[in-house]
Amino acid sequence: MTDTDAPTTGPTTGPITGPTTGPITGPTTGPITGPTTGPIVGPAGGQITDPLPGPDGGDEPLRFGPNAFDADPEALAHPQPGYTEMRETTPVMRIPDGPIVLTRHDDVMFALKNPELFSSVNAIEIGNIRPLIPLQIDPPDHVKYRRLLDPIFAPREMAKLEPKVRALVNDLIDEFIERGECEFSADLAIPLPCRVFLEILGLPIEHLDRFLRWKDDIIRPAVESMDEAKVVQHEAGQAIYDYFSPVISDRRANPRDDLITLFVQAEIDGHNLDDDEVADICFLMMIAGLDTVTATLTCSISNLAQHAERRDAIVADLGLVPAAVEELMRWETPVPALPRRATQDIEMRGETIKAGENVVCLLGSANIDPAEFPKPDDIDFTRSGNRHLSFGGGVHRCLGSHLARLELRVAMEEIHRRMPDYAIKAGERPVYTSGLRAVEYLPLVFSAGSRVGSGSRA
Amino acid sequence: MKVVVDTTLCTGHGRCYALAPDVFGADDFGHCEILVTEPLTEVQRAQAKLGADNCPERAIAVHD
Repeated sequence: MTDTDAPTTGPTTGPITGPTTGPITGPTTGPITGPTTGPIVGPAGGQITDPLPGPDGGDEPLRFGPNAFDADPEALAHPQPGYTEMRETTPVMRIPDGPIVLTRHDDVMFALKNPELFSSVNAIEIGNIRPLIPLQIDPPDHVKYRRLLDPIFAPREMAKLEPKVRALVNDLIDEFIERGECEFSADLAIPLPCRVFLEILGLPIEHLDRFLRWKDDIIRPAVESMDEAKVVQHEAGQAIYDYFSPVISDRRANPRDDLITLFVQAEIDGHNLDDDEVADICFLMMIAGLDTVTATLTCSISNLAQHAERRDAIVADLGLVPAAVEELMRWETPVPALPRRATQDIEMRGETIKAGENVVCLLGSANIDPAEFPKPDDIDFTRSGNRHLSFGGGVHRCLGSHLARLELRVAMEEIHRRMPDYAIKAGERPVYTSGLRAVEYLPLVFSAGSRVGSGSRA
Repeated sequence: MKVVVDTTLCTGHGRCYALAPDVFGADDFGHCEILVTEPLTEVQRAQAKLGADNCPERAIAVHD
């Protein structure tokens, strides 16, 4: 992310190539285990040297940069050949004045599974003044927060939200179904996750626009330089803290049936979470939950709109939706990279990663690594094994993944049920963004239908 | 055939119980629980393998 505009747009300068024909690097050699007592060896045979002696005096944390307006639109729409080129030529790539990028599935998994070597603390800065909880807390404290938060976001809890999510999706489709066309991003993909977020946190729907503005200021700052991005991000970050502070106080005084109330009443080590901790959880929920589902929905529907046979397969059997969601997440990898920071000198595939250096786990590349995925360039909804890393892995595995999957599945079901012949509007092209991958302009046409009037609040 | 989950590796992706709900369940934290005992039926064996093949953490092992 952030400086990873370079990896996401990649070194693709040539035409889009077909399926990879490069050498297949053989199956991974069994499970990657946790910390060992002996010398720690990466899957590439890399070895840890020179433990970090003192405090971290390493790189500046990564951050989301300005949109790369000069990026090749074709490379933004199809980053996969660039990922493959990196993985095949320089699997551990040092970007000049930038992070070190891991591109292989086994190397990425090694980093994600060894947080004591590849820390999340200070790996990225998004306008927050304290670590985001639980993402920027390393073990052992991390586990305390996850023991608290995992049950709240577990599948059986998320399943209770399905009727509400389905009503929200149908309300949004109602707004454009009679027209026979929509701009999918603005009309459905952007508002859906934000409305779900407001709903579960117990916040008024009138605040939707300000949350969208804050998350855009942080993730997609409309500026031209990194310095300007930092300013805009800090202003948005402060606005988020200022917003949540009185809400958290209110929920302590006036408990409600919402997540913020649940957080203020929660205990860790025998004491309640304090206001800062609750704010740090809400901040992360907002940044992690709003843009990612939007990005995944737009990338997935754009892909299907351009490949009618895939769309039709789903329409013919809505039971394919869960597998299609996973396979499109693998191929599109809307969150293409995760930031980490080396805590020690680590040698991987001949490159020495120094303590304190930024490391980027290029999930988009790991997800099309032929060593893990047979025929990685085939989009196959019947793929028998799909260990994609679009939700990360290891202890920081996306906390909200079960909510995301619910939103994606329900949206995909209703879209394919109610507007089954959707296609890109004639004469138009989807416009992809840099950084976190999304389709910010996705004009669709389809046969007009009728409103269903779910009865959910408008 | 025996199916086991290494609970130190499971982080709750939930792929196993989503794909193979007859063999895998979720505990309160959304982590994997094995629901079956030996001997496994043919259907359970196929589901056990499906769960193992889709676990991002490689936390599930299937032994003959």
